[in-house]
Amino acid sequence: MRSLLSFFALVWAVAVSAISTTGDRLLVVLDDVADQSSYSKFLGDLTSSSPCPLSVLRYWPYRGFKLSFETPKSESLSLFHLGERAYDHVILFPSKSKGLGPNLTANLLLQFINANGNILLTLSSGSSTPSSIVSLLAELDIQLPADRTGLVVDHFNYDAASAADQHDVLLLPAPHSIRPDIKDFFGAGAGSDEVLVFPRGVGATLGSGELLMPIVRAPRTAYSYNPKEQGEVVDDLFAAGEQLALAAAFQARNSARFALVGSAELLEDAWFDAEVKTTSGQAAKTFNREFAKRLSGWAFQEIGVLRVNWIEHHLNEVGASNESNPGIYRIKNDVTYTISLSEWSWSSWSTFKVPANDGLQLEFSMLSPFHRLDLALDPSHSTAEAAAYTASFKLPDQHGIFNFKINYKRPFFTNVEEKNTVSVRHMAHDEWPRSYVISGAWPWITGIGATVAAWLAFCALWIYSAPVDQKKKGAKKL
Amino acid sequence: MSVDSLQTLANVGKGESTRTTLRVVILFLIAGAAIASRLFSVIRFESIIHEFDPWFNFRATKYLVANGFYNFWDWFDDRTWHPLGRVTGGTLYPGLMVTSGIIYHALRTLTIPVDIRNICVLLAPAFSGLTAFAAYLLTNEMTPSSSAGLLAAVFMGIAPGYISRSVAGSYDNEAIAIFLLVFTFYLWIKALKQGSMLWGALCALFYGYMVASWGGYAFITCLLPLHAFVLICMGRYSTRLYVAYTTWYALGTLASMQIPFVGFLPVKTSEHMPALGIFGFLQLLAFLDYVRSAIPKGQYQTFLWLFAGGTFGIGLAALVVATSAGIIAPWGGRFYSLWDTSYAKIHIPIIASVSEHQPTAWPAFFFDLNMLIWLLPAGVYLCFQQLADEHVFIVVYALFGSYFAGVMVRLMLTLTPVVCVAAAIAISNVLDTYLSAKSPKPEDRLSDEATDAAVKKAPKGGLKSTSKPFVGVYSIFSKGAVVGAMTIYLLLFVLHCTWVTSNAYSSPSVVLASRLADGSQHIIDDYREAYQWLRQNTRDDAKIMSWWDYGYQIGGMADRPTLVDNNTWNNTHIATVGKAMSSREEVSYPIMRQHEVDYVLVVFGGLLGYSGDDINKFLWMVRIAEGIWPEEVSERAFFTPRGEYRVDDEASDTMKNSLMYKMSYYNYNTLFPPGQAQDRVRGTRLPEVGPTLDVLDEAFTSENWIIRIYKVKDLDNVGRDHASASAFDRGIKKKKATKKRGPRVLRVD
Repeated sequence: MRSLLSFFALVWAVAVSAISTTGDRLLVVLDDVADQSSYSKFLGDLTSSSPCPLSVLRYWPYRGFKLSFETPKSESLSLFHLGERAYDHVILFPSKSKGLGPNLTANLLLQFINANGNILLTLSSGSSTPSSIVSLLAELDIQLPADRTGLVVDHFNYDAASAADQHDVLLLPAPHSIRPDIKDFFGAGAGSDEVLVFPRGVGATLGSGELLMPIVRAPRTAYSYNPKEQGEVVDDLFAAGEQLALAAAFQARNSARFALVGSAELLEDAWFDAEVKTTSGQAAKTFNREFAKRLSGWAFQEIGVLRVNWIEHHLNEVGASNESNPGIYRIKNDVTYTISLSEWSWSSWSTFKVPANDGLQLEFSMLSPFHRLDLALDPSHSTAEAAAYTASFKLPDQHGIFNFKINYKRPFFTNVEEKNTVSVRHMAHDEWPRSYVISGAWPWITGIGATVAAWLAFCALWIYSAPVDQKKKGAKKL
Repeated sequence: MSVDSLQTLANVGKGESTRTTLRVVILFLIAGAAIASRLFSVIRFESIIHEFDPWFNFRATKYLVANGFYNFWDWFDDRTWHPLGRVTGGTLYPGLMVTSGIIYHALRTLTIPVDIRNICVLLAPAFSGLTAFAAYLLTNEMTPSSSAGLLAAVFMGIAPGYISRSVAGSYDNEAIAIFLLVFTFYLWIKALKQGSMLWGALCALFYGYMVASWGGYAFITCLLPLHAFVLICMGRYSTRLYVAYTTWYALGTLASMQIPFVGFLPVKTSEHMPALGIFGFLQLLAFLDYVRSAIPKGQYQTFLWLFAGGTFGIGLAALVVATSAGIIAPWGGRFYSLWDTSYAKIHIPIIASVSEHQPTAWPAFFFDLNMLIWLLPAGVYLCFQQLADEHVFIVVYALFGSYFAGVMVRLMLTLTPVVCVAAAIAISNVLDTYLSAKSPKPEDRLSDEATDAAVKKAPKGGLKSTSKPFVGVYSIFSKGAVVGAMTIYLLLFVLHCTWVTSNAYSSPSVVLASRLADGSQHIIDDYREAYQWLRQNTRDDAKIMSWWDYGYQIGGMADRPTLVDNNTWNNTHIATVGKAMSSREEVSYPIMRQHEVDYVLVVFGGLLGYSGDDINKFLWMVRIAEGIWPEEVSERAFFTPRGEYRVDDEASDTMKNSLMYKMSYYNYNTLFPPGQAQDRVRGTRLPEVGPTLDVLDEAFTSENWIIRIYKVKDLDNVGRDHASASAFDRGIKKKKATKKRGPRVLRVD
């Protein structure tokens, strides 16, 4: 335990210097390296070493990513070096070219994800999406409009100041979580006067896999069309309303993250502090900078990262040994299982609190669960950094090889999938209650006693009775 | 050991002590021969455990030696039958392991450090020496001629029917069980002859040892009551029988119930009911005997009829009620298959799939027993001539044993002892008659008969034919001819035994031997190569899925958990593995995930022409799986429309898509020029395009491709199914979402 804690202290100490939990090497892929100036604030936030000047109210600590800039076709660009990831995270800005070249094929990007790399992908309606991106998205079950172009418009929620005619600069409310049991990572704390501006972006539709989750959905009145071909009439609608994801999150099974933003322009300096006007004429501030920060923070494993500090299970019986994590139990033993979880939030580990409408469950299973129990917070083992959750239960009356299983996979949180295998053995021959304890056995015990006594009595009688005189006996009979 | 007053009579005037010494020497030589002829496998190969079951026994013995007796007794084995585990301590016959353990510790106490493996390897030959001795004792009870005993010992020592299960390395229950079987019979005869409680108790003790050692103890449990019953029916009820039987039954049953695996079976299952029934019947007879001496004869007849009828009725009714109420288990499947040889094939494929449960082919009798099999009737006939209680036993045993040996190959083993005894009686009779150098003179006849009459009190209750007319052999020529013929037969028998042992029964089957073109021996060691690979390259708790035949070997040699093994206690679990092997990948994968399978092991003989491979066993997997999931697995679908079992181009789609087929032939065609891939077992040309595997990765293939091991892939990291993931890896792009017909599929959050 102690060594475990000191180990995590060490990990924490390492983590402080790199605020993302998985590393600080960030690759930015731009068509033209000079384009970075238009994203200077966003990129500046990523490298920031001082509190962000604009959000005085919220103290954003040091994020400290080390940026490398490359163009897609650059020969020096390589996601892997000697079989290891060369970068921890990648931001892909829109590219004018049809493909991204041999160093950013869909296969390589997928390998990057499989190797725990995180990707933030931005799209733009101004340029067609490169083919490697399209096929990568297809593998992740994200569909883009046909012919790689599409523009999301909404005739009810547009910025009256900049897109009074086109209606292609959407004004959206701050993106709160779409389900009550999901922690609100992206819209929490947003003022009511703040709107998210989504200028000239592409909307995607998401498959129904559980690894995908929309972050920002288009308003019910929005739709996507192809301005070049469908200028007059939208005969074949790609998608509309909430089916259009403007920003989406994908988290692979290994917890590598992939974030999709339909509008790269959203991240531009121009929209970070622009004044916009709603259709009703009210002026509003943009939430873009905050959103960009949170989205990149999520994608690069700065928030929503869960860590299992330790798992402990032991016998919960009077007089039993208190050995931790024994490999074998007996049927119908009482056991206690405790798991300690921490959540990384920007700069530090904190206790992980299960969202209000959600529950952390433990399965005790062999082939199928024999128990599925809610874990309760255990304050006595919790610290400022780690929350312990515990459950005590009686093992089933079935021997076998069981798993204590935690399978906590929630949108935006990294996956917690823990399996601790224990054997549950049968009763040993000397663990049954003794026969004299069982009242039902008393008649039988009495029977045995009676037989023994009768046998002894018979023997005694036999031994001490004098042999009958044969002659006398014969005489009697006659 | 009373070598009988008869013996002494016969040997008057000759040095008894010389004869005893000679006998002891001969017995030692026989034991030596028995052991030596079983060492072929050690000399040819090495000191290695053979086949399948012995590997489990070996592993269990190691556990016993390492962890002590109580841990062994309560052993819960979490490395087999994953994830169910096996209550091994309570589901095995511990006699064998405990015997080895005792020998091991005894030798250690004597400061002789012997590897437990060597004890296990050499246990069976050592016990075969004891079996020969037990056969000697048993035969001596049958006939006054001690040469019969020695002959029986020789036969027992080298008869292939017994050697088949007791060569060095064949560390199976039978290794000690046959000795116990013969010895228990000897003690039973002894107890019966003397009406002695001591011998009866000894018989019960060895019966208990037998129960602790082998499931075949039921043979004794049924044979002794049968013997008693036959004796009673012959009107030979005696207090000797009463004492011997009741002592044996009461103590023996108590002893057998101490074995956890047996537990309450002796009072619960039908197989044990005859013994209980005869026990009760003997009590009644004893009671009637007493009553007869106490009341007048006329009343006794009525009493007898009423009593017998009443008891029989009540007993039968009780049996029927208890069976239908489930207190007494009905006959088990293995038992039914003893009466109807096609029963198992229809109802219990798992039993039928074991080759040693097949009915015996008639050449097997000659192969395993050679001339003994035709001497058996002669020996039985000679027993009829004398027909004392013990001869009835031989007759009953011979009938019973030969029936069962005909039904199930492996029961040849239980027949062998009686064959040896009967044949020895026959041969010794012939030799005793023809070897006596002096011709009988007519005047000797009277005195001879007089001695005979004086000596033989026994055949009082025998058949009429036992009063044999006196005939003598007078001619030297006929003596010489018969003796010469017998000698040649015996020599041929020894030759045959040695040949069979050397060629048929000394292969470890873990290591295969073949001959190269120049005649030198070539060892094919793929099994051990693969198991060693598993041992060295996989996680300690990596679960291996294979067909159950290899479970014990994987557990013993690779030391990895398995899903199913040769202890086929859970048919459903085996059927699950059968289903995983015989289904499409998409169906198999969830099964393998659920059972936490890490590696799949298949045996493939196509390259070498090794016919015992999994494709040839495949139909059993299909049948067993079909028994549990008839809707999902269908045996018919694995045949071509014309009903052929094929693996080439014309194989059915179900066959080609089954996991077993794919694993067997995956990448196989890369060994050959295009279109030339050849399966040397089935003798067919394989399809030009080999199968693809999406959910498995090839991990290991042994030198001769006999063992192929595949690793089960994890779920796809980005949530695709394996087929599309591997299609993407192969560079096939996903088709663009074409215009969908019907309503859109919307995402619901």
